[in-house]
Amino acid sequence: MSSQDAEIDFEIDAEDLPDRPKTPLVLGPPSVIVDDLRVTYRVIGTGKRAPVSAGRNSAFRRLLARGRANAVRVTEVEAVRGVSFVAHHGESIGIIGTNGSGKSTLLQAVAGLLPATSGSVYIAGTPSLLGVNAALMRKLSGERNIVIGGLALGLSRREIDERFQDIVDFAGIGDAVRLPMSTYSSGMAARLRFAISTAAVPDVLMIDEALATGDAAFRQRSKAKIDQIREQTGTVFFVSHSLASVRAMCSRAIWLDHGLIRADGPVDEVADQYREYVEELRSTGQDDRDSAL
Amino acid sequence: MAGTSHAGVTSEHLADLAAQSGLRKVGVRPPLGTYIRETWRRRDFARYMATSSIYAENQNTFLGQIWTILNPALNAMVYVLIFGILLQTSRGLENFIGFIVIGTFIYRFFSDSATGGAKSIAKNLNLVRSLHFPRAVLPISAVLAQFASLVPTVGVMVFFVLMSGIFPSVTFGGVDWEWLLLVPALVLTYLFCTGVALILARVMASLPDLDNVLPFVLRVLMYGSGVIFSIDHFVRDPVLSSIMQYQPVAIYLDLARQALLAEPTIPLVGLKWAVGAAWAVGTLVVGFIFFWRAEARYGRE
Repeated sequence: MSSQDAEIDFEIDAEDLPDRPKTPLVLGPPSVIVDDLRVTYRVIGTGKRAPVSAGRNSAFRRLLARGRANAVRVTEVEAVRGVSFVAHHGESIGIIGTNGSGKSTLLQAVAGLLPATSGSVYIAGTPSLLGVNAALMRKLSGERNIVIGGLALGLSRREIDERFQDIVDFAGIGDAVRLPMSTYSSGMAARLRFAISTAAVPDVLMIDEALATGDAAFRQRSKAKIDQIREQTGTVFFVSHSLASVRAMCSRAIWLDHGLIRADGPVDEVADQYREYVEELRSTGQDDRDSAL
Repeated sequence: MAGTSHAGVTSEHLADLAAQSGLRKVGVRPPLGTYIRETWRRRDFARYMATSSIYAENQNTFLGQIWTILNPALNAMVYVLIFGILLQTSRGLENFIGFIVIGTFIYRFFSDSATGGAKSIAKNLNLVRSLHFPRAVLPISAVLAQFASLVPTVGVMVFFVLMSGIFPSVTFGGVDWEWLLLVPALVLTYLFCTGVALILARVMASLPDLDNVLPFVLRVLMYGSGVIFSIDHFVRDPVLSSIMQYQPVAIYLDLARQALLAEPTIPLVGLKWAVGAAWAVGTLVVGFIFFWRAEARYGRE
């Protein structure tokens, strides 16, 4: 929901894409269980204006009525409307769907960073979410963001100092690490964020469009990191508009439509269904939303 | 397993499966003991957040960190000028300069802590939405940041008290062992402020309108705590006077003044130290539990 204008489509050259692991990975026990999850946003102070009746009301009373109409108005927006699935250790799952279908919200709720309205999420270990807002503290330097991120994840100062250079190297930002993150390009910020989040290997890694901003070399490095996480029997969730990336990175896909699961299965099957749906929308001229194929 | 439809699978099945696989439920607040331990484990995090926010605050000024000292010094000078010299509120006090300077500095620490604590969740929403950590770290580090910038300003405060003797109408009481009591007085004030910050942080998270009300509450409290005048000199009603003197903010102003001033109307009173300690511990415990109870809900818009 929060990322609508940040969702930019990237045309990805086929040769840039790393190969999907050919060896079928053995699925471990469940790592994430989602049971009838619903997330409703509460928006304060917006919504339809209540009609103010004209007539014999005094100006004062009209003002009062309008004030009341403006004051306590809470609009509820249903972003995820009852989603259930089970994910396993060693699995990488792509989440696809049009803009506003609830993909980012679903990830935030599964990560436990956005409270659910109802339903349950069970998870193994500590999830790590790479969102679109990559900078933790925009005013502070990349250096301080690394320390803050590490400390928040529960690393000690010494562990952070030990991994500091690796994080900077992995992100490939060089001396820019001393500059405030408000001066970073979105790609640099996303790369640094990815490096911070994977400094302590998470059990469940969730990536929200973060890789789309990286160049080919970074995509190779991040792909290697993701494979490493999966080898250590972690689970990776991957939200993207780019069907090509999802096909390359994931073994399974979940298609989300208006907050509900429309399809869930092997990546090629679901991706083909989704492609058909989008092409149909396009041919009937209904689609003004972006949907990369 | 991929593609399995879960139609017909009940929530109990899924909960059993989760329990068998050793998964934990997301978005449930941890038990209080675990929460305290996790917060304690993040003490480096709280400290680092505090120093970073002080650093960020004065980042774009020419004088930089000097403002943490200049700002309170200018403030104290304004109060001394208006209330001490122009309006002659000094009646009933031997050292009104010291009285007002201590009052404004300690009160400023309290009000900045309250404001900072109240805003701590909203200000760091990006962090809350990205990473897992006990959210209590945020209000705690907001007060820690104020406390860290209080330490150098205490130097300014002591300087003003030492120099107060140069005014003809002021009697400077001299330096004695009681000055050491300033340290416990500040520590108690700090603990109390942390409790207040935790309470306000939770209230503000669910009721953003507080942002508009808080400045007025703080201003009323300033006049109700005897920051720039002596309560027992101006408030005649004995009941009202005691209430005003034993409410926490007035107590902490009084403790700092007991330490640094030799005012006959502000003697060293053990009872006030006991009350100050009780307010500090009580507010901190109540504030922490109150904040913890909403732990799973922070970050919802």
